[in-house]
Amino acid sequence: MAEKTFTVPIGPIHPALKEIESFILTVDGERVVNVELDLGYSHRGLEYIVTHRCNPIQAIYIAERICGICSTSHPYAYVQSMEHAAGITPPERAEIIRAIIGELERIHSHILWAGVAAHEIGFDTLLHWTWKIRENVLDVLEAITGNRINYAMFTIGGVRRDIDEKGIRQIRSSLQFYREVFDTFVATFIEDTTVKMRTRDVGILTREEAEKQVAVGPTARGSGVPKDVRYDKPYSAYADLDIYPIVPDEFTHEETKGDVYDRIVVRIFEVLQSVHILEDLCDLLESTPGPITYQQNLVVVLNQLKRAVGEGIGRHEAPRGEVFHYSMLNKREQPVVWKVRAPTYNNYASWIPMMKGTQIADIPIVIASIDPCLSCADRMTVVDERTGKSRVMTLQEMREMGWRKTKEIKRRVA
Amino acid sequence: MRKKRAGMGEAPYKKDNETFTYDGKKVTAYPAEKLFDMIKEDFGEDVEGEVKTFTAGVKKKKEYKEIWLKVKRERFHELVEWMSKIQVPHLAVASGRDAGEEIELIYHFSLFYGIRDSEVSLCVKVSLPKEDPVIDTITDILPGALITEREKQEMLGVKVKNIPDPRRVFTSDELPEGYYPWRNDNDPEVEKELVRDLSKEGL
Amino acid sequence: MLDIPYEVEILLRSTVGAIAVALFALIFGLILVGIDRKVHARMQSRIGPPIRQPFRDVKKLLYKQTIIPENAVQSIYNNAPILAFAAAMAVMVYLPLGPFSPMLSEGGDLILVLYLLIIPSLAMVVGGFASGSPYATVGAQREMVLMISYELPLASVIIAIAWKAASGGLDFAAFTFSGIMSYPIWDHVGAVGAVGAILLLGTILITLPGEMSKIPFDAPEAETEICGGLLAEYSGRNLAMFMLADAVKTVALGTLVIALFFPWGLTPTLESVLDVDINKYIGWGIDFLFYMLKLILLVVVAVSFPRTAFSRIKVDQITDVYWKRVGAMALVGVFLLMLDLQVL
Repeated sequence: MAEKTFTVPIGPIHPALKEIESFILTVDGERVVNVELDLGYSHRGLEYIVTHRCNPIQAIYIAERICGICSTSHPYAYVQSMEHAAGITPPERAEIIRAIIGELERIHSHILWAGVAAHEIGFDTLLHWTWKIRENVLDVLEAITGNRINYAMFTIGGVRRDIDEKGIRQIRSSLQFYREVFDTFVATFIEDTTVKMRTRDVGILTREEAEKQVAVGPTARGSGVPKDVRYDKPYSAYADLDIYPIVPDEFTHEETKGDVYDRIVVRIFEVLQSVHILEDLCDLLESTPGPITYQQNLVVVLNQLKRAVGEGIGRHEAPRGEVFHYSMLNKREQPVVWKVRAPTYNNYASWIPMMKGTQIADIPIVIASIDPCLSCADRMTVVDERTGKSRVMTLQEMREMGWRKTKEIKRRVA
Repeated sequence: MRKKRAGMGEAPYKKDNETFTYDGKKVTAYPAEKLFDMIKEDFGEDVEGEVKTFTAGVKKKKEYKEIWLKVKRERFHELVEWMSKIQVPHLAVASGRDAGEEIELIYHFSLFYGIRDSEVSLCVKVSLPKEDPVIDTITDILPGALITEREKQEMLGVKVKNIPDPRRVFTSDELPEGYYPWRNDNDPEVEKELVRDLSKEGL
Repeated sequence: MLDIPYEVEILLRSTVGAIAVALFALIFGLILVGIDRKVHARMQSRIGPPIRQPFRDVKKLLYKQTIIPENAVQSIYNNAPILAFAAAMAVMVYLPLGPFSPMLSEGGDLILVLYLLIIPSLAMVVGGFASGSPYATVGAQREMVLMISYELPLASVIIAIAWKAASGGLDFAAFTFSGIMSYPIWDHVGAVGAVGAILLLGTILITLPGEMSKIPFDAPEAETEICGGLLAEYSGRNLAMFMLADAVKTVALGTLVIALFFPWGLTPTLESVLDVDINKYIGWGIDFLFYMLKLILLVVVAVSFPRTAFSRIKVDQITDVYWKRVGAMALVGVFLLMLDLQVL
């Protein structure tokens, strides 16, 4: 039988992968017999950079650039961990604004994911439609924060910009929009026959397996584990709301199977959940005046952080699951330890039980079903030099390379 | 006024917020202090630590707790087993640092997830001497811990005993043996060769 | 009239005619691809490429370097696209283009066309296996399964229609296109038979995306799964040949469906409605334009709409759909046609 199998490489570069990673599939006809995972293609060494070169304030901006899609989740967890380490309490209004940005991000991230998933199963119409409706929330984010992604809203001890009356009005009109399109969203995605054909009973992760493989976020919830940081542990303004984790059987009215379809259901209804959460947060924001940072002067904050000794953890429910940051301060310019744990890092392990026994055709949607964010999970690039040696490449170095390339192009054009 | 809102309010699948049913077994959430006392009772002198309390919320203030433990490495595996008898513990990640003579690993577990507002974070610290940085694997209890254990091996030079797959995860195979990016005692010559800061080189 | 010897006339007809048919199939095939892309884009609320985009694509591909993979079987790898293109072109000579009867016509050319239509797909399979890439191998396996799947319903439709024509008094001429064209199925069936004929039309419309490897039946090329599958290793001239073969095949398949189900021209209707005599040549022109319109409509309905409305299904599901559902549909259609004959 051994000769009947052959290997199909998926990646490092492959149209099904939005980022670089590599799977080596051993297949027998269409059926996948074995999966090998090869990670680390987009490791950028951010933890190394921060613990060697950056002060805690600068590190916020690096945390923000860990990932483009969850560009609020990482700063969210990071500032929490720093605040715990240094004993800083942010003001109430800041906590609400943080949660608002987090939920707006969840809406855009889940809709983006829905489009990607549709593309993986060859349903490009849905890809274009979902990305079109996603523009609405991006416009709101741009109006509030000045940027479509990388909002730069967070700072240690508060947020950097307030949301005014006009901002709340914009958020509310956007919520109205999403309420209106949500039925179409459900009808075109969850109730569509071909989508169901492609995703039901595919990539099954049982509840037991999900807990043992320490899966997080929609990946775990899709298997019926009601695990959501916003529900398990009160933090920020989420403590005021009665959130419960979305598990699929409430909406499918079938037994939870832990397949790709269940994960789709979870993500789509989380969009609606975010809409509801935002409604409450907007009400809360209107009734909570006050400052947005505990200390306006960054130099004072920085000095306090430099003198601080302590450690803290920060956790936030990102669109993909729990983001976990651990920071340690010890009277130094830079943090002593900074450990970033992105949700995909934990969900990697779930891929292998999901993929075994599926067809090659299912691999893209199974990969996409955990919503992988690999640049989050890998954080150091080791590039091969022409000499054959490898070395750690710094962010600055990459930037310089970018500048050099721009200069070269400019010269060539001129 | 508003009809029932998805994802908000009382969870439809569980009336009782205090317990969590898993495989027919009911899990009751203990307060963090009680859990800490239980650990103290069973492990005695081999663990030490504290319970930290934080407050969250805007109009409704709620408290949440973290348990920070330091455990002897001989009993670490036993502690994880102990936790798994209550509920399959969730391992967020293992972080670690080079603490001079020792390598300190911190395993970030959490228990009682799935029960409203009662999750307890357990940060379990294990110190390993540098000349013998060996720790037992916990992949027999939590298979999902594999990636973080592999990462600790390549980043901190820890040896995980009985690890099913000892290969590197994130770093390139061409990174020299004996160079561990998160350690502070790397050979400066090797470090200089591997790490460059071009802004300081005036480029 | 010029006095042309018979032999010269035959020679002229076959050379000039063949060139004309080839040019028409190439150009109109690419236009059809362009229209399909544009309609598809508009339905997805995109602007979409201009209709002449496929011409630009082919032109660019012809300029580009043709890369031959190291472990490919060169001779087969390079000849497969030519074979596919030639077979698609050969089909065109047997098909009636609107008012023009087929250039070559022998007894049983309906069956010949059915077989010739398989050759481009077979050439792609052979080329896929010869290119020595795992993606292409998987793609080739899928293409074979796909061919086996859609061939049954397609053949049952064609044979049912020919059988109907034969039992209607056409005898041997029933398997020629000129025979079928002169015997439109709708004119010779009762109510029951009409339902059967509609089912058969539905069947052939569902097999069209399969024949052309378009979503939802594009598993052999599935871009996100196996990077273009069969065509993964093809580039430059070879890929351009496959693109052209695909365009010509689109025209051929469309023409086949039109000949089987919608053979009418517009001229007789116009003549009776307007009560005028239309010049023979003008009539040809009108009918030919009408034929092109029918082709465009057919491609939009059978290719662009499903491509927009469905997602790609897996290869085992394709077999399931074609054999169980579409196969059953075809059989019911055939049965109703037979029943209709009894009733009459």
